[in-house]
Amino acid sequence: MMICPYCGYKNREGVMFCEECGQGLKAEVANAVLPTRQLETASPNMAARATWGTARFGQDASIIIHIRDATEPVVLQPAKKTLLGRSDTSSPQKPDLDLTPFGALEKGVSRIHAAIYRSEDTLTLVDMGSANGTHLNGQRLVPDQPRILRDGDEIRLGKLVAHVYFK
Amino acid sequence: MLPGIDPYTTLGIAKDASQEDIKAAYRRVARRLHPDVNQNNPGAAEQFQDITAAYELLMDADRKKSFDNQIVKRASGENYNFTLRVTPSKRAVVPLPEPQVIYLLAEILPDPRARDQDQKRESRLNLTLVLDHSNSMNGTRLDKVKVAAHQIIDQMTKDDILSIISFNDRAEIIIAATPVENKHALKAKVSMMNASGGTEIFKGLSAGVEQNRRYLGPKLVNHIVLLTDGNTFGDHDKCIELARTAAEQGISISAMGLGQEWNDDFLDEIASTTGGTSSYINSASAVIRFLNDHVRNLSNAFAERVRLSIAPDPDVKLESAFKLAPHPQPLTTNDGFIQLGSLQANRLISVLLQFQMPAGMNMGFRSIARLVSAGDILSNQQQQFQALSDISLEITDNPPVEDPPIAILDALGKLTLYRMQERAQEALASGDVREATRRLENLATRLLAIGEEDLAHQARAEARRVAHTSNLSDKGRKTLKYQTRYLLLEASSEDTSQ
Repeated sequence: MMICPYCGYKNREGVMFCEECGQGLKAEVANAVLPTRQLETASPNMAARATWGTARFGQDASIIIHIRDATEPVVLQPAKKTLLGRSDTSSPQKPDLDLTPFGALEKGVSRIHAAIYRSEDTLTLVDMGSANGTHLNGQRLVPDQPRILRDGDEIRLGKLVAHVYFK
Repeated sequence: MLPGIDPYTTLGIAKDASQEDIKAAYRRVARRLHPDVNQNNPGAAEQFQDITAAYELLMDADRKKSFDNQIVKRASGENYNFTLRVTPSKRAVVPLPEPQVIYLLAEILPDPRARDQDQKRESRLNLTLVLDHSNSMNGTRLDKVKVAAHQIIDQMTKDDILSIISFNDRAEIIIAATPVENKHALKAKVSMMNASGGTEIFKGLSAGVEQNRRYLGPKLVNHIVLLTDGNTFGDHDKCIELARTAAEQGISISAMGLGQEWNDDFLDEIASTTGGTSSYINSASAVIRFLNDHVRNLSNAFAERVRLSIAPDPDVKLESAFKLAPHPQPLTTNDGFIQLGSLQANRLISVLLQFQMPAGMNMGFRSIARLVSAGDILSNQQQQFQALSDISLEITDNPPVEDPPIAILDALGKLTLYRMQERAQEALASGDVREATRRLENLATRLLAIGEEDLAHQARAEARRVAHTSNLSDKGRKTLKYQTRYLLLEASSEDTSQ
C-alpha cells in the first residue's frame, strides 16, 4: 500500500500517481512534497485605505517588494507575467518569485499562489486559486479576477504580508 | 484461425520443433488460456481458439508441410510487417499480502521500410460522411461543413470511394457510394444541403453503414465520419449495436461533436467500439481543419482494422485501457480485445493498460498476460498479419532498483488528470456535490502545477459552479474532458524512429 503524502489516500502498490489527488507517488518526489498549510481563520478584512498611489507603471520601472520581517526588499523587473509562490521539487512549474526564504510554508503560501501581469503601463494582481487566498489592501481577491496594482499597495498571500512600491 | 498467422509464433516454438515439442508447448500455453480457468476472460477465450487452431495445423502432417512451403515463398517476397513492443512499468516485483497494480505500455510499430516509401503508396479510401443537417446546424455551421466536404472531395482521387449522407429525423443520401471522378458534380450535390428537422443519429448512421458496405474491401480504408451537433434520443443502444456490427465487418467510425449540445459519452463509445476517434469541435470554423486533418491521416494508413487482443492470466485482472497515440482515446475492454483502427506509416499506436495482480504471488518468474495484435497490411498480397507478446515478471524479495520507464511515467502523469475529471463527473452523477467539487479543485491544482493555466482556470470555474448549482456547464464538461485528453498528445508525440 502506498499512502499519498499529500492527501493521505491509500493507493495500491504499483500506482504511480495518487488516484485521489493526482500527486506523483515516486518515493523521492513524494518526500519533498509539502502541502500548503490550511490556515485556521483568515484575519478579517482591513478597512480600505483612503489614499491610493499611482497605477502607472513606466517602461523601465521595477517593483520593490518589502516583505514584512525580511531584512532586504526584493527588487523585480516584472515580465509579462510574474508568478508568486513557493517552490517545490514535485511541481514542474516554478514560481518566478520564490517566497520559501520568507517563511512561505508556515504562512500558508500556495505553490502557485498569485501572479502579477504587466500590460502596457499597468500591473494587475491575480489570485491563482490559492488555498488561503490573496488580499489586496485588506480585500480578498476573487480567484482568476485581475485587480490593478498601485504604488504603495499592501498584498497578503496567506499570512505573508508585503508592500509593493514602484520605481 | 485467420490465414496468414504463424502457428509457430502462436505456440512459441522454433520452426524445426518436434511433435513432442509442439505438444508440450501447446499444453503449456493452453494451461494459461483454457476457458475452464478463465471464466470472465473473453480475451483468453479468443486466444485459446488461436492456439488450438495452430496446434491442430501443426499436428496435421499435410497442412504443416504446405504451411512450411508457404513460409519459404513468403520470406522471399517483399512483405511488410508490424511489430508489437510491450514495456511493463516494472520487471520485478515484491510479493505482497495485498493486490498490486502494474502497467503495460503496448506499442504497435509500422514497418520502418514503409516510412521511407514516398507518397505513392497512399492507401485508398472508402469514406462515408454522415452529416447532421438538423435545424441547429443552420447558418455558419452547415456552411463550414460544406466547405470542409468540398475540400475533402478535392483531396480524394478516382481510386477513392466517397458517399455522403445527411440526416435530421430522417436520412437522405446526398451522394451514393461512388468513385471520386466527377468532382464538380459531387460538390454541387453537397452545396444543395439545407438545415431542417431534428436529430436522429441512428437513421443517418445506418444509411452511412449501408453505403460504406457497397465498396467494403480489405484493400481499402473503410471509414465513416459522423458529424453532429445534437443529441439523439432513444436510439443510443441501436447505434452502439450497429457500430459493433460495422466494426466486425471492418468499418471504423469516427465521431465529431460540434458545439455543446451533443452527448460525449455516446460519441466516445461509438468511436472506441470501432477503433475510430472522437473529437470535440468547439467552433464552427474549426470544422474545416478537423475534417481535413482527419481524412489526410486516413489516407496515410499502413495497416487497417488493427486490433489488440488481451488475455491476462487467470489471477490477473485487466482494469483499464487507454489509447495514447496517435489520437488519445479511452477504450472499453469488456470484449477482451480493443479495436484500434488504422496504423499510419509514420506513427505508432500506443496503448496503456492497467492490470491488478493478486495478493501473495509465488516467487520466481510468472506470466502476466498475452497480447496479440492483428491487422490488415494494405500493401501486402497476404494482408492479415499478427504479432504477439507474452509478458512475464519476476516475483522476488530483492528486486533490482529500477526507475519506471519515462514513457509510462509521462503518460500516466497526464492520464491521471483525465481520470480526475472523469471521477469528478462520476461523483456528480451519483449526487455527491462536495466530492465532485473537491475533485475539480484538486484537478485545478494539478493543472496549475504543470503550467496549464487556462485549463486550471476552467476547472476552478467549474468547481465553483458545481458547488453553487450542483451542475457542470455543458461547455466546461466537454472542455475539461477533451482538453485533459489532448494533454496526452504531447506526451506521446515521439515518432517511430527510436
